[in-house]
Parts: sequence; structure tokens; C-alpha cells
Amino acid sequence: MARIRFKNVQHAYPPPKGQKPVYALKEVNQIWEDGGAYALLGPSGCGKTTLLNTISGLLTPSEGEIYFDDQDVTHLPTPDRRIAQVFQFPVVYDTMTVFDNLAFPLRNRGMDETAVKLRVDQIAEMLDLTANLNKRASGLTADGKQKISLGRGLVRSDVNAILFDEPLTVIDPHLKWQLRSKLKELHQQIGVTMIYVTHDQVEALTFADKVVVMFEGTVVQVGTPVELFNRPKHKFVGYFIGSPGMNFLPCKIDRGQPVFHSNLLSTSHPVSNDLSGRIEVGIRPEFVEFADDGIPVVIESIEDLGRYQVVTVKHESEVIKMVVDEDRPIPTESPKIQLNPDMTRIFCDDWLVGGGQNE
Amino acid sequence: MTHPRKWLVPTLYILFLMLPIYGLLAMSFKTTGEILGGFSFFPQQFTLANYKVIFTDPTWYNGYINSIIYVVINTVISVSVALPAAYAFSRYRFLGDKHLFFWLLTNRMAPPAVFALPFFQLYSAIGLFDTHIAVALAHCLFNIPLTVWILEGFMSGIPKELDETAYLDGYSFPRFFIRIFIPTIAAGIGVAMFFCFMYSWVELLLAKTLTSVDAKPIAATMTRTASSSGYELGLLAAAGSLTILPGAIVIYFVRNYIAKGFALGRV
Repeated sequence: MARIRFKNVQHAYPPPKGQKPVYALKEVNQIWEDGGAYALLGPSGCGKTTLLNTISGLLTPSEGEIYFDDQDVTHLPTPDRRIAQVFQFPVVYDTMTVFDNLAFPLRNRGMDETAVKLRVDQIAEMLDLTANLNKRASGLTADGKQKISLGRGLVRSDVNAILFDEPLTVIDPHLKWQLRSKLKELHQQIGVTMIYVTHDQVEALTFADKVVVMFEGTVVQVGTPVELFNRPKHKFVGYFIGSPGMNFLPCKIDRGQPVFHSNLLSTSHPVSNDLSGRIEVGIRPEFVEFADDGIPVVIESIEDLGRYQVVTVKHESEVIKMVVDEDRPIPTESPKIQLNPDMTRIFCDDWLVGGGQNE
Repeated sequence: MTHPRKWLVPTLYILFLMLPIYGLLAMSFKTTGEILGGFSFFPQQFTLANYKVIFTDPTWYNGYINSIIYVVINTVISVSVALPAAYAFSRYRFLGDKHLFFWLLTNRMAPPAVFALPFFQLYSAIGLFDTHIAVALAHCLFNIPLTVWILEGFMSGIPKELDETAYLDGYSFPRFFIRIFIPTIAAGIGVAMFFCFMYSWVELLLAKTLTSVDAKPIAATMTRTASSSGYELGLLAAAGSLTILPGAIVIYFVRNYIAKGFALGRV
């Protein structure tokens, strides 16, 4: 059990000949509180796996330090870090039985055999592997193998953190739900720090207390699911979280308020007039509604998704998506829309500015 | 689509392949006189005398023993050297790795005759001439590259997450390599050993050049067609039949893995 702290961690993989190194991680300063359930969310190739591997020591970052509590572990070899990690694709020791696979990390730490048996049975029970315990691991299906990988990660109780690298990719959808809630349950039971990498926002938002969003090698925002939804600090978070993602409309600033194609909008988070850079207004589709007065739009398409409908409208050449309840009528003649001022955010060069920044 | 006579072509093909082997086998049960006398499909006077000579005359059975000794030494050296090399090629990127890997194969492009003379001189100079280790080392020239090539294919089929999981589970690299990695690629090692065995067992030129008496291989003994008692064709046939045997036994054990090796395109 430890608090994990990243201090200016950067990492670049060796570049192909004659090219500049590309940083997979840029200036990551991040604290993972002991016992937290974190989700690391971001698109493929944003450095999530690199970040995990620096925690477990499979990678030594090219710059910066990593601390477990106050101990500098930057150069500590993996076996000494007491980290469990589960990879995207199943890893099993083919030559051993399922039981031996699960017992392996415990035996390596000199646990006595009766305690091993007890613990393995408990984990096997949880993962529904009891019937297969004496089979050879190589004979199992992909999701069976992945359950072993998960089990091997969860079986140790002495770990500083358990890292999951998109562990449910190969698992059937119905089992996915089940395992995810089991993980959550286990987290509440044993209170070990868990970091769960995913590019699926639903998975991230259901698993984690805190979501860490990464984009192009940096952590762009850390927050609870609600914070990420209501106050994305970076345009990317707006896009990535929520379905459909946030609308971004180019605008100018006039007396602290945004002007979109000569329509004065209002926001409860005014900004100063002297902003320079590319200025946009961000609004979630959930907070755009039809009104008697407002921005005139043309309706492009309506998608009925059951409990709500996604309406795509257009003003000049800008496309705006909005979420409308299923029982709300869609106006047919000269529709106009209103943006909820409390939820209207202003972004400058992709980053959130104005009063919404430090609430 | 099943054709009523689909067995015909394979049967003919197998018969065609088996014919010389049958000829050899039949000959080994004949007396030299009968072989020289004319062609007969079955031995007229069935005899085991040829085999008896081989198992009792030291110049014959020592040939087998010598061959087996250097083949085993060669296989052990090749595999133990190639394991770490193949691991490095499959897991690490280093300067010139691809070129080096390809260069390994080029070693197989020169005929052994090219190396016969320099090897003869070298081994004579350091006093290794006519020893088993000399032949074993000489055969490494072909077998180590081949083994590295085969093992690299098998190792690259194992995800590197296996290595990483073992570290996470508390194994150091040497323990992981011996306790987990080697058992995991046992099939690959089996295939590699088979090929080492095969090349070393059938190679004649270097083995003959580097030995005279003490380490003379069976294939070299067999090239002696006549002795003081004249032609001994029956004896040669018996020796030949026995030479095929070890290969047949070894291939029986690795038959399932060979297909895997072919599938990887590495054999």
C-alpha cells in the first residue's frame, strides 16, 4: 500500500533512425492516492500503457522520478515493486495448471501452501474458475485465460497497486459487466489502489472514483465523472466524454460574453476581452434546447435513440448536436435554439478559460 | 468432392519414395555374392551376418558411436548458444539487429567444402584434429544460425507480456528464462534440436576432413567400399539401413512440432 507520485515524468521511445524522439509521455505530474480507484482514459496511442509500465517498472522513464510514498522507485526493478498488472491479452503460464498459475505469485513470495490454497480458492470462486482449477491453462478459451490473468493480478494481497491494461477486451459483453462489478466490489473490500486503463468511457466512468484523461502524452484532466462531464478542462475531454461529445462553436468575445455568428450568447463564466488565440464556445448537447427565441437553425437530422433523440441542427455552416427527450416535440417551422448559460464554457486554444476554470 | 481413386497418386508416390529404401534393406539381408550375382527382389539366402559384423567389429560400431557423440555435443552447443541469441533477436531492438539476423543465414550459403581446408588447418594447429569436439564445433557453423532462426520464430510467437508478468509475479530474469520461458518454447527447442541432429548426422565432408581414426564418423566408414576381403556390399547396405534409423526415431518424437515450425515459416 502506497501513494504513488509522478514527478516530471517523461518518456520517449528510441526513435527510428534519423528521426527526432517522440515523447509518449510529456511532463506527467500526478499523484495516485493510496486506495483510489482510478480509470486512465484516452484514445489509443496516447501513452496510457506507457504510463502503466513506468509504474510497474517494465519501463524506466527517460526523465523524472516516481515515488511510492517517500521512496524513489524510478530505478527499482519490477519484482521488487510489488505491483500487479493485468494486460490486454491473456498471459498464462502454459505449462502449469490453472491452480498453479494462480498460486504462482503467492508461492514466489514464500507464502505457505495452506494459505496459498485458501486464497487461490477464494479468487477462483470469484472468477468462476473453480471447475477448471486442475486443468492445464493452455487448454482454456481466450476469456478463460484472461480470467486467469485477472486472478493472478488479484490474488496477492501485499501489492502497492493493481494495474489493469484494458483487461476486458477479450471478454464476452455479458461477462464484462459482471467482472467489472466484481472488480469494483473487490476494490471496496481490499482497498488497494487500482488503475484501470481503457479507451471506453462507459467502462471508465462506471469503474472509477476518479478518471484521469490522457491526450497525446499528457494528463489533461483528473476528476470525478461529473466534473469531467460538466467542466472539461480541455476540448479533448469535451469530445471524448459524453455521447455525443461536446459542441464547439467558433466565437468572438464582446464584453466578456461570446458572440457566435453575430448572435450574442451568454455564459455564467465570463472571460476577459483581451484573450488571444482561437476562441470557441463549448456546450454539451444535453444543454441545448429549442426555444421561442434564440439562434435560428436548420434541422439536419433526427436520430431516435429510445429514451432520447439526438437532433443535428445547423446554423450557417456550424453543426450543433442536441439531445432532446423523447416526449418533447421538435419544432418544424423556423426552429430556434438556446444554450444554457451555466453550462456554456469558453475555450481558448483548446483549453478552458474563464470562471469555469477553477470552481 | 471425393474421387474414387484419390488414394492412387499418393500410393504411387510413396512406393516410389520407398523403393530405394526397400532396395537397401533387402540388400542388407543378402550376401555380397548374391548382390553381385544379379538382381532379385527378395533375398534368396536370408542372412543376418552383415548386421552381426557391424555390431561386433569395432571399426564399424565405433563409427556409430563417434557420430552420435559429436552430433549430441553439437546439438547441445547449438541450442545453448542459440537460446540467448534468439531471445535477444526476438525481444530487443539494437543497432544492426536485422542485418545481423540476416547475416546469420548467409553462413549457410557457402558449401561446406569452402571451410574444409581452413578448418583442417586450424584444428590441426590447435591439436583438436581427430576429436569429436572438432567436428561438433565445425558443424556449429551451420547449425547455430539455423537454430537461432528457428527459435526466434517460436519466441516471437510468445507475447512479451509473459516476460513482464513473470517479473511482476516476482521472478528475476534468469529464473523466468529457465523456469518459464524454456518450458514454454519446448516445442521450438525440440524442432531446433531435430534440425541440428539431422544436419550434423548427414554432413560428411567436414566430418571426414577433420577426423582420421579416433572420431571417424559412420558415413566416412561407409565410403570404404572394399576391404581386404574384397567388396562388402551387403555390409554397406546394413550400415546404411542402420544409419537411417536414428533419424527416423528422432523425427517420430518431434513430428507434431515440425508442422508448427513450418507454419511459422522458419524451418
